[in-house]
Amino acid sequence: MAVSSSSNLLVLLLLISSLDWLSTPGSTFLMGWDHVTSSAPPEPHFTKCISRDLETFRCWWSPGNFHNLSTPGALRVFYNKKDSPTSEWKECPEYIHSNRECFFDAEHTSVWITYCMQLRSQNVTYFNEDDCFTVENIVRPDPPVSLNWTLLNVSPSGVSYDVMVNWEPPPSADVSLGWMRIEYEIQYRKTNTTNWKALKIQPHTQQTIYGLHIGTEYEVHIRCRMQAFTKFGEFSDPIFILVTEIPSKGHESTFQLTLVFVFGVVGILIVIMIIVVSQQHRLMMILLPPVPAPKIKGIDPELLKKGKLDELNLVLSGGGMGGLSTYAPDFYQDEPWVEFIEVDAENADNGEKEDNQGSDTQRLLGQPQPIIHHMNTGCSNAISFPDDDSGRASCYDPDLPDQDTLMLMATLLPGQPENVEASFDIVERAPAAEGVKQPLVQTQTGEPQTWVNTDFYAQVSNVMPSGGVVLSPGQQLRIQESSESATEEVTQKKEKEHISSEDTDQKKQKELKFQLLVVDPEGSGYTTEGNAWQISTHLSSSMPGEGYQTIHPQPVETRPAATAENNQSPYILPDSPQSQFFTPVADYTVVQEVDSQHSLLLNPPPRQSPPPCLTQHPLKALPAMPVGYITPDLLGNLSP
Amino acid sequence: MPGNIRSVSVVWVLSVCLFCSRPTSVGAAPICANAQTGCHILSLANLFDRVIQHSARMHGVSNDLHSEFEQYFLPSKNQIGRVSRNCHTSDILTPNGKENAQRMAREELTEVILKLLVAWRDPLWHFHQSIAHHHDFNNFSSNKALEMSDMVHELRKGVQKVAEKMQMLGIISNSVSGLASHEASLPSGSAEWRLMKDYELLYCFRRDSNKVQNYLKILKCRIMPEHGC
Repeated sequence: MAVSSSSNLLVLLLLISSLDWLSTPGSTFLMGWDHVTSSAPPEPHFTKCISRDLETFRCWWSPGNFHNLSTPGALRVFYNKKDSPTSEWKECPEYIHSNRECFFDAEHTSVWITYCMQLRSQNVTYFNEDDCFTVENIVRPDPPVSLNWTLLNVSPSGVSYDVMVNWEPPPSADVSLGWMRIEYEIQYRKTNTTNWKALKIQPHTQQTIYGLHIGTEYEVHIRCRMQAFTKFGEFSDPIFILVTEIPSKGHESTFQLTLVFVFGVVGILIVIMIIVVSQQHRLMMILLPPVPAPKIKGIDPELLKKGKLDELNLVLSGGGMGGLSTYAPDFYQDEPWVEFIEVDAENADNGEKEDNQGSDTQRLLGQPQPIIHHMNTGCSNAISFPDDDSGRASCYDPDLPDQDTLMLMATLLPGQPENVEASFDIVERAPAAEGVKQPLVQTQTGEPQTWVNTDFYAQVSNVMPSGGVVLSPGQQLRIQESSESATEEVTQKKEKEHISSEDTDQKKQKELKFQLLVVDPEGSGYTTEGNAWQISTHLSSSMPGEGYQTIHPQPVETRPAATAENNQSPYILPDSPQSQFFTPVADYTVVQEVDSQHSLLLNPPPRQSPPPCLTQHPLKALPAMPVGYITPDLLGNLSP
Repeated sequence: MPGNIRSVSVVWVLSVCLFCSRPTSVGAAPICANAQTGCHILSLANLFDRVIQHSARMHGVSNDLHSEFEQYFLPSKNQIGRVSRNCHTSDILTPNGKENAQRMAREELTEVILKLLVAWRDPLWHFHQSIAHHHDFNNFSSNKALEMSDMVHELRKGVQKVAEKMQMLGIISNSVSGLASHEASLPSGSAEWRLMKDYELLYCFRRDSNKVQNYLKILKCRIMPEHGC
């Protein structure tokens, strides 16, 4: 803070001294830091002592108010050079009375030695302690010379520009010898303004001024001082800088050309991108043509994908509902490049109603089939597009529910063989009316065998992960003899069948779960339900009076209450006693009610129930028509 | 502190250059067999430049400190101060003008520089100590005093390296004695500087640092006038 004030004082002193360069009283002699005196002391005093080159110096004095001493020679200057303890006052070596100046040449100038100045009149000595100094501290270099500027560059906008100002050190300062090391300060301002802008002090002889405005005139001047000292010399004469509008068309044109070029390139890139994106598919076709996928005639190409080998094997082995040759004309009519792989399959025929091939279920199970009937065509033709079902085993026929409904209807009627037949006729007709080649159940006699062999629908209850298919037990049953052993055999066979295809354990479990085996407990006709949820009974319309079969499923989970029933009723389950005979199981049946023992009571055939011992279970709903079972959608189908 | 860093860098550069300039060192530096003056001129110029910059920096610091003293304690014109006694380095004969400095032999000039620097090592250290314990000064002044003290130390080493190099190059004769002689040349037991006050020490040192700066510049421009003189 004090430094700033002292520097301000110094500037003020300089201004004043520059104004009163030659000789005017009234300015104090090199004001000190805190001595700001506007009025000169009245006695004779020194105004200033300045050295310009560190080799010589000058001192100016003033008589003050003593005008009688203003005549030359009235005042004499004495100095004391304290270079030795015994130093004397000597008189000024060179007077310049016109300026009231005392000049010390190089011989009388010693740097780093204290000088004290003194004014003497006739008999009075005017001496001030503050008038002592060392020469290096009073150095104020001359201003630099040869100040000029050059244009560096103009901004692209054409508004501002930079100039490089250069100059020469003052000739009086011996810079080349290194005797004086000078640093410079440039100041500039717009002409006719009052504030100078100062650039950073630096020791080089050139400096750049940035950010000048075109069309504005600038004024520049410079001053210098010794390095690490505080006293600046005087400012040089100002120079003027003015740069007018430069019609630099070349500059602008290059700029514009660059802009145009850049935008053009960007636009072209955008257009290319649009083309590529819009024609992506075509380009992809051209660049990366699709590889034709392998196709085997008659097989869903989905099967040929990875991981579906089992289903493929199933299909190829001929166990599936979908024949190998059935799909060919339908699927690949529009794919001319598809090459069919002819597989020598058993099901080469198409659309035979009666053939000697085994039933689907039997084929599925890999068994010899006495009576064969297949529903392939029905399934295949109904399906216009392959779905994802594996192996074609579960052939989804949209007409199936209708048929099932019809079948169900037939079974729902009180077990009358005539009705059943009629119903079957209906069943027969219905699919035929639909134009679907529906091989129907033929054997409608009371022979369970034939009925069994007519696997009209092979309901698949479940598909095992290994590829095997769990069918409803009713169709698998071979009612050869109505004997327990036979049933047992059948069940065992069934077991084998199942074993042959998949895991036994799983099979048993699943059978228990999903199959409600309709077995007539000596003709009791009671149905109880164990843990099996789904009732997968099948029509036994062939059996007169045996519309419904009763099942006493053996609950795997111990149900002690059911033990009595177990003993009494035959079970198709492996660990259950077999019935005398069993009738085929309908796929769907109606649960009339649930009795007290939590067994589902189906609608058994009233006539064919032989043992009366089981009649203890009243069948309330025997004669009742299962009207409630008909769901609204089925109702529509029931209308004659 | 930048002064310390600079001094360390000066010493490092000097040592590196000295190492490089040895005849046995590995490198592509030509070996001056006959003490030719044109040999290793560049490296000597670099040495000089760094030493001169160092001395300029030292003088700047002393100037700042002196100004601080003046504005707080002894405002005066021309930074003349009230020095009651002469500086303790007044005994050293120094050229007081440009012609005198030019006329002086290089060896003498180098010696004078070294004497001055040696003479100020202890006083500056004590000055820093007194400044640090004085409550009137802030940390800024104390740091500057320490910096000044270190710079004197490093500058002396640098000038010695320059002198040795000049001797090796044959620029100056081998009459410039080493450090020990300079220290011995001090008047034994003279503790004149202890009697001086802090301000007086500062005043004297400011003057002497300016002398050193000037002498070094003169020496350099006399030996190598083409490089930045």
